[in-house]
Amino acid sequence: MIKTLILLISLTLFASEPISPIPTNIKVNLAKAKLGKKLFCDTILSKDNSTACVSCHNLSKGGADSNVVSSGYAHNKGNIQSPTVFNSRYNFKQFWNGRAGNLTEQADGPINNPDEHNMDPQTIEERVNNSQEYKKLFKEVYSTSYITYKQVLESIVEFENALTTPNSRFDKFLRDEIQLTKDEKDGYIIFKQYGCITCHNGINIGGNSFQKMGTFLDYEMQDDYPDRSKITKNPNHKNVFKVPTLRNISKTAPYFHDGSAKNLKEALTIMAKHNLGIKFETEEVEKIISFLKTLDGEQPKILEEI
Amino acid sequence: MKLKQLMYLVLAIGIISSIAIVYFYLIQKDFTKQHREFLLSVNALENAHLDLEHQILQNSIYSYTNQDKIASAMIKTEERYNSLTKFEILNNPTYKDTKKNIHSLQKNLNQNLKNIEDYIMLNAGIKNSLVFLNRHIEKASYLIEKDRELFIQASKIIKHFNDARRVQDLDYINRDNFLLNSKSNNAKTQSFIDGFNLHSKYLVKRYPIFLKTTKTILNNDIHILIERLKQKFSSSAMSDFKALDIFAFTLFSVFISSLFLIVILFLNYLKENKKLKETTASLKHSLSYDHLTDLHNRRAFESNLLKISKPHLLILNIDGFKYINDIYGNDVGNIILQELAQILKDKFSSRENACLYRLGGDEFGVLFNNISDENAYEIAKELVNKIINHNFIVYDLTLHLMVSVASNSIVPILENADLTLKVLKKDYTQRVLQYHNNLNLQTDVKENMNTIELIKAAVDDDKIIPYFQPIINLKTSKIEKYEALVRIKLKDGTLLSPYKFLDISKKTSYYHFITKTMIEKTLKMAKEFPQYRFSINISMIDILDTKLTHILFTSLDANQDIAKRLDIELLESEDIHNLAAVKDFITKLHAFGSKILIDDFGTGYSNFSYFSDLDIDLVKIDGSIVSEIETDNRKLHMLTSIHKFSNGMNMKNVAEFVETREVALLLKEIGVEYAQGYYFSQPLERPLENDEVTI
Repeated sequence: MIKTLILLISLTLFASEPISPIPTNIKVNLAKAKLGKKLFCDTILSKDNSTACVSCHNLSKGGADSNVVSSGYAHNKGNIQSPTVFNSRYNFKQFWNGRAGNLTEQADGPINNPDEHNMDPQTIEERVNNSQEYKKLFKEVYSTSYITYKQVLESIVEFENALTTPNSRFDKFLRDEIQLTKDEKDGYIIFKQYGCITCHNGINIGGNSFQKMGTFLDYEMQDDYPDRSKITKNPNHKNVFKVPTLRNISKTAPYFHDGSAKNLKEALTIMAKHNLGIKFETEEVEKIISFLKTLDGEQPKILEEI
Repeated sequence: MKLKQLMYLVLAIGIISSIAIVYFYLIQKDFTKQHREFLLSVNALENAHLDLEHQILQNSIYSYTNQDKIASAMIKTEERYNSLTKFEILNNPTYKDTKKNIHSLQKNLNQNLKNIEDYIMLNAGIKNSLVFLNRHIEKASYLIEKDRELFIQASKIIKHFNDARRVQDLDYINRDNFLLNSKSNNAKTQSFIDGFNLHSKYLVKRYPIFLKTTKTILNNDIHILIERLKQKFSSSAMSDFKALDIFAFTLFSVFISSLFLIVILFLNYLKENKKLKETTASLKHSLSYDHLTDLHNRRAFESNLLKISKPHLLILNIDGFKYINDIYGNDVGNIILQELAQILKDKFSSRENACLYRLGGDEFGVLFNNISDENAYEIAKELVNKIINHNFIVYDLTLHLMVSVASNSIVPILENADLTLKVLKKDYTQRVLQYHNNLNLQTDVKENMNTIELIKAAVDDDKIIPYFQPIINLKTSKIEKYEALVRIKLKDGTLLSPYKFLDISKKTSYYHFITKTMIEKTLKMAKEFPQYRFSINISMIDILDTKLTHILFTSLDANQDIAKRLDIELLESEDIHNLAAVKDFITKLHAFGSKILIDDFGTGYSNFSYFSDLDIDLVKIDGSIVSEIETDNRKLHMLTSIHKFSNGMNMKNVAEFVETREVALLLKEIGVEYAQGYYFSQPLERPLENDEVTI
């Protein structure tokens, strides 16, 4: 009785922690996800066979692009920094401005974007149906002789669902499996005390709300940026973006929607100045960075398999 | 069968209404299910929304919370709303108002979700600023000694902010005094003041908007709208339920009344069916029973005969029953038949293997199964004795009957028994006869039938033809006359002799036609050969056939020159019943110059008295006498006697069947005038041109 009570209390305390660990036992249709992986890496999904999903979501670089903006069809440049595809299933909405409600809607976006894949569903269906290899693979997964665009998207999404990075040091700390170093722990406390946690919380440490870039001090604004105001048509939502995830943040430079911060130090300085209205001490910055590094998780299992 | 049709109709209505009840039940079930699910869905939306509000409240209380919960509560609320709009039941016109309510709910929900997004944005800044200010003053504790006044002012302002946040009331903030005005030479202090003022300004500017947004979120009309939606839906559903109730009641009444009707109609049907059965039974009885004697009838006999493995039939016929009917009347006849039937019933009712029939007018049958011929014969004899000794008392008459019984067990049962009975009727010495194959009755009948068929075919195809046999004058050795003899030419070209068909044809209407044809064709031939006389055979039947005599005399009248060369041979073998008619016939013929000949004299009904009554010209001596005169003295004597008698009566003789030269010479020697036979010539298709003959 007392044991259960203690367990309950500890659970309550645990639950009250604003960050929750990534589940280690997610269910994924492996065959479908593998098919999705192949599609994710295949350039036939772009009109000139130049661009694959993986082109901008580099799976060895935290699922993001190390360029400020990505190049797509005919080397056309994108207008925003590619966010990571890792753990994207835990984002409440997709894209910087949250215009997609789920991953399927998201995947449909770049494929049809003239500056990215510049494709249309019909051409994709023609191409995959002309490939004996895909026909065989899809038959195994879907038992179908004709591959539909919907199935293509579904497979890619299944792959993306498998792209989680569990068992970061911080997750292990949350599960009471390890202790953080003093610097890491201090960094987390500073992270909470300065209010970073207000926006960067939840399973993805972000990715669950919209915030204005430049709460205290206006941030440089470009009218053509696809910010939240493009969706809500509310002028107050200029420079409002989805709060990005901080998981694997050390690997996904450059930072922010415009890729203006080349490293974490720069990013922290900008955030403190514009969104917290403060200035970090050098020591504090270092501590926060060492905390942020504890958010690096394991490589997704599906990538280990060839 | 109007009743039957009506029954089917009612049955159909019953079935349709019961199907409708099942259908209705399914609809109602579906309707109830949808209704329940819709309400559940509304409740789910309400709960999702409550949860969202709860999350917002929690978020507003704590400095920081896991916003995943808010995000998922928002998504859940949206999902719940979307599933609500997808209910098919809303397409029903009854729920138009409910649909409207859902639409207005959507507006509020969307607005609320937007407000929550804004709230989270505002909340982050305000919370962070408050946290910052509190930490800021804590870090600046050195001011207590250095600039105590500044520290107190800053603390006061922070307290106001904290109070305002705690009670969510703007009035706690002193709008005229929320900034630190003093300037300090100390860089650290100045930095404190700048940082403080930055956040303080932010709070003053943003806090009212934040509060307003929070209040809007928490004081929205969504709860009221959902409550209204529920009420509207329930009241609409109520009217639907009422309509369903009425429908169900109607259906049930139709079903019950059709059930009731079916029972009534069925009872009626049973009643009618019973009547019908009775009628059918009596009809059936009359089909297989004789109404007069109540014995089985001939129809029943025919069908029962087929069912029996070893049949044996006795046919009983009353001798001369016709006379009883003629003399005493049908009433008496019928009573006698009934009484005879009763005798049969008394005798055979105890026997299991016997069945009684009335086969015809006065013909009764006793059909046995599996009985020996001897046994049947004994039974038949007993039966005959019983009937002969029975006194049939009708009114005041006492009658006795004679009966004949034919017994047969050989297939065809009835036909053979009938034939046996016919044989029996000709022989009054015995009253019971057992059929046996030696009676050969059957083959006779068969041959007769075949012959009749042949005659019919010959008549139809004009194959009745005369053949002509020359008759020679023995004194002059010249052919003087031809006798026309009837033949039937068969399909294969062979000729059928008259003894094979003539007797049978006399029992049919073809006989008239045969004689008629012979007259016509012989007349034709006589016309061609004027040097000869011709003779035709005429029987008593012909003479009594007024139609035929009319034809004969008419054609003789028309060909008078031929008529005087045409002789008539009367068949002596037949008994002449109507002497007057024959006399008249002969007289008329004599008037034309025809001569009359008695045929086949010396056998059969040979009667000298004819010669006294009839004016005969010639006598043909029968072949049975002629052919044997050379070997049999008695025959020779008979022939000479007849010749002498004929001469005495002024009649000439013709000898037939002359087959040898010796006979011909003997006849000539005796003085017989004419002869015919194979010695001279067989019958020919046409007479000879040459009339010379050598004897």
